[in-house]
Amino acid sequence: MLNTTSLSLDQAPPISVPFRFFLTAPLFAIAAGIQLLVFGEEIFISRWSPLTLGITHLITLGVLGMVMCGAMLQMLPVIAGSPVPRVVLVGTLTHLLLTLGTILLHFSFVTGSAPVILIALTALIVGFVVFIVAVGIALWRLTEPSTTIQGMKLAIVSLAVTVAMGIAAALGFSGIGRIEYLASLTDAHLGWGILGWIGLLLVSVSFQLVPMFQVTPEYPVWVRRHLTYSLFTGLLAWLLLKLGFVDSEWIDLPAILLLGLVVLGYLLFSLKTLQLQHQRKRRIPDVTLLFWRLGMYALGFCALLWISGVLFSSIGDAPHFSILLGIGLIQGVALSVVNGMLYKIVPFLSWFHLQNRQMALMCMTISVPHMKEFVSDRSAKRQFYLHFAALVSTAAAAVVPGWFLRPAAFLFVLSNLTLLLNLASAVRRYHTTLKLLVPSAPACTSEDNGTD
Amino acid sequence: MEHRLDVSDLEPCEPLERTLAALTRFEAGDYLRVLHRREPRLLYPLLEKGGFSWSVRSGETSQFEILIWRQGDQVAETAALSR
Repeated sequence: MLNTTSLSLDQAPPISVPFRFFLTAPLFAIAAGIQLLVFGEEIFISRWSPLTLGITHLITLGVLGMVMCGAMLQMLPVIAGSPVPRVVLVGTLTHLLLTLGTILLHFSFVTGSAPVILIALTALIVGFVVFIVAVGIALWRLTEPSTTIQGMKLAIVSLAVTVAMGIAAALGFSGIGRIEYLASLTDAHLGWGILGWIGLLLVSVSFQLVPMFQVTPEYPVWVRRHLTYSLFTGLLAWLLLKLGFVDSEWIDLPAILLLGLVVLGYLLFSLKTLQLQHQRKRRIPDVTLLFWRLGMYALGFCALLWISGVLFSSIGDAPHFSILLGIGLIQGVALSVVNGMLYKIVPFLSWFHLQNRQMALMCMTISVPHMKEFVSDRSAKRQFYLHFAALVSTAAAAVVPGWFLRPAAFLFVLSNLTLLLNLASAVRRYHTTLKLLVPSAPACTSEDNGTD
Repeated sequence: MEHRLDVSDLEPCEPLERTLAALTRFEAGDYLRVLHRREPRLLYPLLEKGGFSWSVRSGETSQFEILIWRQGDQVAETAALSR
């Protein structure tokens, strides 16, 4: 007989905590798309243009950060059995401060206002510190952490490093503080944000979620055991070289070699994930799998593009190289995977909370919708094709902005509007069913008066 | 009487949905043997709330076997645990 542990739903936050993060994220994406539509070509002039910085942070903080923080607060009790302390307070503060900080940071980038950037940075620092400390407690108190939890710890450390470097870079960029080597610092901030925080969280949760949700074989033990640590070590060594010996010319080659190893690690991860997905028994792909596959192909493409850029200066020195890489990693990899996961997490949480309520009340005559009924498959697939079209046209716009920029922005807005409506329909369905599951309803036998 | 349910190849949360649906058809003396590739830890709080008991063991043809019976149904419990 196996020793089994029952998960208590009481350990998980109320459903309103993750939902507010998930429903806010598409709003930031829509705001970013509308600005792209209105202001057009300015975005691709340079990665340093105020609008480019503003829109990039709307996506990284407002969309990716929002969903990743909300998902971690929800997932830790479920996959690790370790609830986040004071989760309602932590969730509320993180959500509010992240929302406020992102809006103000964007405003300050575009207007160049020094007082606004100080308020924005304060909100973001407090919000992230609250989140990192609370999630850190939940992660570090586990005595036998799984490989997923070990990877999450590294992702949280990477988030702290990313935020610290981002604050310093923002102070330097706005002229408030005098930061030397701003370009190197910004590169390090970008590298740790994408390859550290986002990448390590993606890899570590994949170890658990890909086999579970996509019914694939498990990742090989050596990948689970060594990949996240190797990626983190490579990034750390790269950071120390990049910032510690910034004046030395000799660091260029070792720094590129180190980053190359990290990139190869991600290439391996994308190929392994695609291979596992290919081995799944079910041949009909659901929408989450489509998003994940797209994300993994984009990851492989970005890795090869970066390697080509290093090997051939005609590619690496091309004016649109770094913007194309940024689009591939942020829109192609991170947004694809996050978007796909939302189609699993939101219906699953809705179903599970309702089922829990139904079992507590023994209200078996009121039917809880199946997980697949919360979001229509047709509408979710339509959104996937919009997302794909937006990605391809944004990549094309990086090269020929005059032709593709506005169609790309329009498709991006449409994709995220569809995502928002799909998620909202799931939440509406949850609330409609919840209202029926009351102790006074016919055939409900329990005296339980609690609510989710 | 034993009811058998193989959910090894199903995506979440179909295993949970099918297991709970099977339990609604229970009669006295019935128990359910669920074959699963993972340990369904999220199922347990639902079983607890619904008044069911369970036992988990390594399966012969699947990674895990979960035996479920209604709390207080001695016949079902004895039959389930004797297998």
